Amino acid sequence: MIGIGFVLDILSNIFLIVGLFFVFLGMLGLIRLPDVYNRLHTTTKIGTLGAFGVMLSILLKVGFSAMGLKAITIGLFLLLTAPVAAHMIARAAHRHGVDLCDESIIDEYCDSYDK
Amino acid sequence: MKQYIVYSIPLAILWCFVNGDISIVNFTFGLVMSPVVIKPFKSLYNFEAEVSIRNDIRRIPKQLRYLAVLAIEITKANIMVAKIVLRPRININPGIITVPIRAKTDVGITAIANTISLTPGTLTIDVADDKSVLYVHLIDIHDREEIRASIRDDLEEYVLEALE
Repeated sequence: MIGIGFVLDILSNIFLIVGLFFVFLGMLGLIRLPDVYNRLHTTTKIGTLGAFGVMLSILLKVGFSAMGLKAITIGLFLLLTAPVAAHMIARAAHRHGVDLCDESIIDEYCDSYDK
Repeated sequence: MKQYIVYSIPLAILWCFVNGDISIVNFTFGLVMSPVVIKPFKSLYNFEAEVSIRNDIRRIPKQLRYLAVLAIEITKANIMVAKIVLRPRININPGIITVPIRAKTDVGITAIANTISLTPGTLTIDVADDKSVLYVHLIDIHDREEIRASIRDDLEEYVLEALE
């Protein structure tokens, strides 16, 4: 007889594996992509879903206990704050004169502020 | 005074979640402590603006739909970036373009900027001083008109309906 606990356990493990896989891809992207702006793409998007997957896996494993509630709150905060952090890092980098990588084609941002 | 009560309730719920114990006692404690948090920080926000609870409740279905769209877009974004990262040779054409936006309020602009950052291939870098355009970094610039159109028609539509 397969109980609901067993199903939740399996789901939790699946989310954990998917989350960790995406975190791994995020770190791989951090190494492989050429400049700071492209690297931010991987760390915001992949980092968010990866960390959210791990948090969801904790929630499924322990249920709505103290730890599960905290985990899902952390996940939601990550979802809310990761884009803001990426925006600030990219803005600061651009204003300090970090160039786009050589493959870049167009930069409409460089005329919008005083150097 | 009404504002204090309206903003205290979400803060109290948040306190219950962060504390990890959802109960009446804990919720009341959060409700009592919220004004202490609101008081020093209210000058950062448009605090005195009129709040209409009925208006907020009417928007909830639209906000839920926006969250569903966001979840789908985040998943798509992850798969797309994963494909780029796993390719044996990295072949990308990045660049920064301007994207005109229609959102007027600060909440709307923040939401659309965050949504753009979490959707495939785009990352918001800055807002223009007059709040009329966003500067967006694209990982692949070739379909830029397509991306402008998809931001305007798909994402912004939901954000405007849900939050403005």
